[in-house]
Amino acid sequence: MQNVATDENWKTCFSQLAPGLVLFARQWTRSAADAEDVVQEAFVKFWRRNHDIANRGLLYATVRSVALDLLRRDSRRARREATAFSDADQSVQPAFEVNDDSQRALVAALDLLPDEQREVLVMKIWNDLTFAEIGSALEISQNTAASRYRYALAALKKHLPST
Amino acid sequence: MNDFSELEDQLRKLRPVQPSPELATRIERALAEPETSSSTAGLLSRERHFHFNWLSIGLGLAAATALVLLAFVQLHQPAKQTPTVASTKILPPVTPSTAQLVPAGLTQVVYHTRDEGVHFPGNSDQPMRRVRSHTRETLQWRNPKTGATLRITYPTEQISLHPVSGQ
Repeated sequence: MQNVATDENWKTCFSQLAPGLVLFARQWTRSAADAEDVVQEAFVKFWRRNHDIANRGLLYATVRSVALDLLRRDSRRARREATAFSDADQSVQPAFEVNDDSQRALVAALDLLPDEQREVLVMKIWNDLTFAEIGSALEISQNTAASRYRYALAALKKHLPST
Repeated sequence: MNDFSELEDQLRKLRPVQPSPELATRIERALAEPETSSSTAGLLSRERHFHFNWLSIGLGLAAATALVLLAFVQLHQPAKQTPTVASTKILPPVTPSTAQLVPAGLTQVVYHTRDEGVHFPGNSDQPMRRVRSHTRETLQWRNPKTGATLRITYPTEQISLHPVSGQ
C-alpha cells in the first residue's frame, strides 16, 4: 500500500498499530506523553517517506531510532529527573491496564527483563511481529531475535513461580 | 510443544494502555503541514538553519579561475607547427601572482590525422599539403602550497600546411 500524506488510510493503519507502537516506545521514554511524541514523530516521518506500511520492521526501526535519538539528546535532563521519574511517573502512568495481582506481578517481572529481551517480547506479543520483522527492526538475525524471545520468557517464568 | 504457551497467553491478556485520542489529531495536523515544519513533537523540534556550502563555493570559484587561466593560456600559446603523436611538456614555472594555482604541465595526444591533399593557400604559387589533426590536450595546474592539482582536458583540431617539395 502506497502512503500518501493526504490519504485518510493512515488513520486506519495507525488506529490498529498505535497501542503497540506506544508500548514499544515506552521502553525508552520516561512517560506516556514522551512515548506518544516519539510515535508521532516516527509515524509522520515514516508516512511522509512513502514507505510501505506493510514493512513493519522499518516502522518499528523508525520508532526505535527516534526514541533513542530523544534519549541521547535528553540524557542530561533525564539524569537530572531520573529520581523523580522512577519514584512517581512510572507508577502514575503504567504501560498496561492491570486487572489483578497476577497481572501486576507479570508487569513487575517485565520491568526486570534486560532491555534487549524486553523489546523483542514487546514486538512479538503486543505487536505481532514475526521474528524476521523483529530482526529487521533491530538489525539482528532472525535466530537471535528468537533466542532473545525465549530467554525473555524463561526469565519471566523464573520470576513468576506460580506459572 | 511450547513450554511457554501458558505464559504467552497470560502476556497476551495484558492490554497496553490506549494512547490519548489527541495523538491521532496531532499526527493528522502534522501530516497536513508542509514537511519543512514537521517537527511534530515539541521536544523533538529541530531547528533548521541555512548553511553556506563552502566546499561548493570553493569548487565553483576554482573552476571559474581554471576557465580564466585556460582562456589566457590558449590566447598566448604559440602556433603549433607539426603534429605530435604524444608529448608531454613541462611548462616553465610562472611566477605565482595572486592565483594560487600555477601551470604545471601540458599533455597533447594526437589521436587522428588526415591528409587533405595539396592546396594553394591564398594567392600563393607554392603548393602546400594540408594536414588536419585531432588532438586532446590536458592542462594541469598545481598549488605549490597545498599540492592540490587541477586538470582540464579538452579536444582540439589543428590544420597544418607543409610545403610540397621534390618536384
